[in-house]
Amino acid sequence: MSDSAGALRHHFEDIEQQRGAERLGMWMFLATEILFFGGVFLAYTVYRHWYAKDFADVSGRLNVLVAGINTLLLLTSSMTMMFAIRAAQLGDRRRLMNFLAISAVLGAGFMGFKVYEYNQDYHEGLMPWRANFGKVPIHDPDHPGSPERTLEEQWHEKGVSPQRCRLFMTFYFIMTGIHGLHLIIGIACILVLWGRAYLGWITPDRYVAVEVTSLYWHLVDAIWLFLMPLLYLAGPHHSLHL
Amino acid sequence: MSTVIETPAPASHEHPEAHEHVSYLKDGYSIWSWLFTVDHKRIGILYLVFLIVFFAVGGTFAGLVRLNLISPHGSILDNDTYNKTFTAHGVVMLFLFLIPSIPAVMGNFFVPMMIGAKDMAFPKLNIASWYVWIIGAGCAIWALLAGGLDTGWTLYPPYSSRFTHTNVVPGVFGVFVMGFSSIMTGLNIIVTIHRMRCPGMTWGRLPLFCWAMYATSLIQLLATPVLAITLALLMVEAASNALGNPIGIFDPSLDGDPVLFQHMFWFYSHPAVYIMIIPGMGVVSEILTCFSRKNIFGYTAVAWSSVGIAIIGFLVWAHHMFVAGISYYAALLFSFLTMLVAVPSAIKVFNWTSTLYRGAISFQAPMIFALGFLVLFTIGGLTGLPLATLGSDIHLHDTYYVVAHFHFVMVGGMVLAFLGALHYWWPKMFGVMYSDFWSRIGSILVIVGYILTFMPQFWLGYHGMPRRYPNYPPEFQFLNIMSTAGYTVQLAGFLTILTYLTISLFNGKKAGPNPWAATGLEWMTPSPPITHNFDHTPRVVCGPYEYSLNLTQTGERADVR
Amino acid sequence: MILQTTIMPEQASEMAWHVDNIIWFITAVTGVTGLGVYLAMLVFCIQYRRRTPNALGPAPTPRILGSHKLELAWTVLPLFLFLSFFAWGAWVYNMALHPPPDAQEIYVVGKQWMWKVQYPEGQRVILGQNSLAYGGDVGGEGYFSGVMVLPLGRPVKIVLTSEDVIHDFGIPAFRQKIDAVPGRVTYMWYLPTKLGTYDIFCDQYCGTNHSLMVGKVMVVEAGEYEKWLRGEWQTGPGKNATDGSMAHQGRQLFMKLNCIQCHDPQKARAPVLEEIYNTDRPVRGGGMVRATDQYLRDSVRKPRAKVREGWEPIMPAFGPDKVSEEELNKVIAYIKSLKKGQSMDRTDVAVPPVGAPTEPPPPAKTTGEGGPK
Repeated sequence: MSDSAGALRHHFEDIEQQRGAERLGMWMFLATEILFFGGVFLAYTVYRHWYAKDFADVSGRLNVLVAGINTLLLLTSSMTMMFAIRAAQLGDRRRLMNFLAISAVLGAGFMGFKVYEYNQDYHEGLMPWRANFGKVPIHDPDHPGSPERTLEEQWHEKGVSPQRCRLFMTFYFIMTGIHGLHLIIGIACILVLWGRAYLGWITPDRYVAVEVTSLYWHLVDAIWLFLMPLLYLAGPHHSLHL
Repeated sequence: MSTVIETPAPASHEHPEAHEHVSYLKDGYSIWSWLFTVDHKRIGILYLVFLIVFFAVGGTFAGLVRLNLISPHGSILDNDTYNKTFTAHGVVMLFLFLIPSIPAVMGNFFVPMMIGAKDMAFPKLNIASWYVWIIGAGCAIWALLAGGLDTGWTLYPPYSSRFTHTNVVPGVFGVFVMGFSSIMTGLNIIVTIHRMRCPGMTWGRLPLFCWAMYATSLIQLLATPVLAITLALLMVEAASNALGNPIGIFDPSLDGDPVLFQHMFWFYSHPAVYIMIIPGMGVVSEILTCFSRKNIFGYTAVAWSSVGIAIIGFLVWAHHMFVAGISYYAALLFSFLTMLVAVPSAIKVFNWTSTLYRGAISFQAPMIFALGFLVLFTIGGLTGLPLATLGSDIHLHDTYYVVAHFHFVMVGGMVLAFLGALHYWWPKMFGVMYSDFWSRIGSILVIVGYILTFMPQFWLGYHGMPRRYPNYPPEFQFLNIMSTAGYTVQLAGFLTILTYLTISLFNGKKAGPNPWAATGLEWMTPSPPITHNFDHTPRVVCGPYEYSLNLTQTGERADVR
Repeated sequence: MILQTTIMPEQASEMAWHVDNIIWFITAVTGVTGLGVYLAMLVFCIQYRRRTPNALGPAPTPRILGSHKLELAWTVLPLFLFLSFFAWGAWVYNMALHPPPDAQEIYVVGKQWMWKVQYPEGQRVILGQNSLAYGGDVGGEGYFSGVMVLPLGRPVKIVLTSEDVIHDFGIPAFRQKIDAVPGRVTYMWYLPTKLGTYDIFCDQYCGTNHSLMVGKVMVVEAGEYEKWLRGEWQTGPGKNATDGSMAHQGRQLFMKLNCIQCHDPQKARAPVLEEIYNTDRPVRGGGMVRATDQYLRDSVRKPRAKVREGWEPIMPAFGPDKVSEEELNKVIAYIKSLKKGQSMDRTDVAVPPVGAPTEPPPPAKTTGEGGPK
């Protein structure tokens, strides 16, 4: 077994030791990410338990269609990353590059929909740090067809606290924001891999980078799978909210 | 009875250049060869230099605090400045000194050597961790000096998010960034110990320092991310207040819960104190065995107790919150669990003491520090028990009793262990020996000064003097003055140490590879070591403390060389 | 006065005796163990010191690896001892957290940087020394020097909250403290057993004048205490007012804030509040809630959170700008005192109790201390 044409770093004894270290390193890193997101998930869950009625109301106003599409995009991209690993193992450079590119595009698609969603929230007065929170007239899903009223009025009628809704939206932006940041970093890593594949640096002997990047990508996907129901499915949706 | 089997490494791994036999200190003289190094030993030195600087900064803040407390109404500082000073003392000592200290210096330097490896698993991650630490530290120091931070290092909202007018966001951001350095170091050490042990180095033959570093790294890896998210949430709340449109996450006036912050904060900060003591315990095992020429008593117990402390340490955080308004049942649970975490520490103390039995003990500076650790850490640990016990904690919480307790474990424990480690491994790191006479004087001064500073504080706390008080009832003045006097003795000790250690770098007698006749793999190299540590990968044939058989881990004679 | 040369500070309450007992028990047991370890260390260091001229290097020592029996012994024995500390401590804590049912309630509100004490009979005291803080006298009241007076031998329960940040109301002579958390109600109780004057400290860092948020508690004979409640002697210059009991003042606030508009049994616009304290009531959306101090506060501050079953969520919220913490305590005291058939109607004019002034009190002076940015 060749020493992989210079892939072996000087401080490792052999390539197996190096690969083992790199894989273990990535799993350890993933553990820190789980603790990191776990902290904010926990804080959110505490408030959701206390303020169930208010959180259910705001959650029901989020765009669950976009959330569903985003879930599909991420799940698919995780699948294509796995195909990318297989392609790297087989030395199929073209397929490797294609699958990496598809994964990156799907991830970018996710971010695109996120931007669309944030924009929708901006226009509906749902950004908690802005002074117009709850003060923009929008449709009332409980009374479809009636004229638009501000969220504050709608909440007042239902006995929902605007302050607690603001707390929900704070958590929403923090959680999806940090997740989005992790996704962007993942897309960047995939693009770097694509570049290295293009230059021929990824071979059946040297594909661990694809593997560990894929592991990271799966984690970002898995976090979304928890994040999405927590935020979007905390209450009934009266409409698809297109 | 040499049983060394030399395993010649494959040729492709050797660097063909001549520097393979040059000490790591001489392998490149430029500033860039230091700032862009990936050599774990140089990185340890980089950490060491700044740790000393930061310790001096934190110590200066401590001096200001103690000086101010000689008068019941604040002798040199007004209330606001005092509040900023004790906050700065806490933040600097904890995040810029204690948490990195042994892991980043001796962990980085010696874990690879002790397991027979050429470097850490991820050398570039290692140097990156140093830069991240420096950047975070710079941010924090700027925040502390330019305007200051007056929330206490514990940062409790809503004071820290809505009421204070000080530099919360930059200060917290500095700590946030430094946390990533801690995670990176921890990750590196775990992977290194798992994957890079040389042939024959089984888990059962790992030096206890490596066991301790492993346990510490587990905590660094898993607890620090929770601090990161907690601080991130606090920064969002504080920033929104500063910008005029407050968002409440922990602010009860905006439907948040301040006690939630405390839970999240202490979920990290309690394990953090174990980050701050377990490495010290590892060092003590190394020194006690070497200087009593005996095997450690109860290797398995001591090794597993480190892991046990790390794991149970994650389950006890709310013992900082017994009077914070938590429920009676929660308090019961956490007090019970805290009693469990005290047991492994007790086991260690008994094992260490038993190691001395029928030894051949000599009292050079490393041993004085280790014995001092044993005495002071025992007091620190035992005084934790009234705090872990519910009925007594009500009275003692947030008084100087707590201040005395944690300084006993952190200074009497960890700082002494750090100094002991420095003195033990100094000849290996720099190839020179310091003055034996002055090192004994310095160590004794630090220990005596320490006791004088903090013993009176148990009294003050039991009599009710609260923490963080620049103004106090006049009947507490005498003991406060005594405490401040102790500070000056400590200062003399630290200055003595700094002096003779610096002098040794220029004038010290050259040290051989193994001046203490120790048995670990790190002593099987020249002093200072070559860049790649070992010419050939060592092969380990026995356990780490075979002093009674006079055997190093590679089976050679453990003589002074 | 606490003399720092005495071994023990004064024990002035029943709980103090319990707390001291456990502290000294733990200290004694751990002290003996610690000294035992030190003795062993000393003996070993002397007896087994290196005697060869070469202080470094090999020396003949026995190869002792350990002892399972000893490991077991010094694992099990400390565990047993620690658990005994836990059990005793839990018992003491249980006592500390559960006041006797006949304990008289005293309301305390902490704010930066003073304590505002309200007695149900109407007596009010402000604790804290802020003379250094606010640029001299503010309205002639720059130096707060109030003393909280307690009766000897009668249990007292402190109902505590904070107006701004987290504080802690601690009395070392009673060996008790509890955090004052904004938005929450916490409790602590004492049975004073010794006459004298003792320190009160704020025991949770709260900003600039955290160390000046201190006062005194004076334990007096029951007769003296009654006189003090009636305003017949003062503990500081012009601090203590008796303008009617808290419940009476709460009743006046109930009118002034127009609570009576809806919570009038004849109007049936809102639930009747007679005898609801500490009873369980159904809420909208299912479930039951107990009408504790916390619930009564939340029902005023955030009324739409837990609405009574059968009623609409229409009650407006009363924030700190409309009703302050002390005023809220008075309203709650009134609600707690309300017996069946005692609800007033809007035209009711109540006769004030003895000692209350018949003229309206002068407008409250604000002290302009630090608050939200």
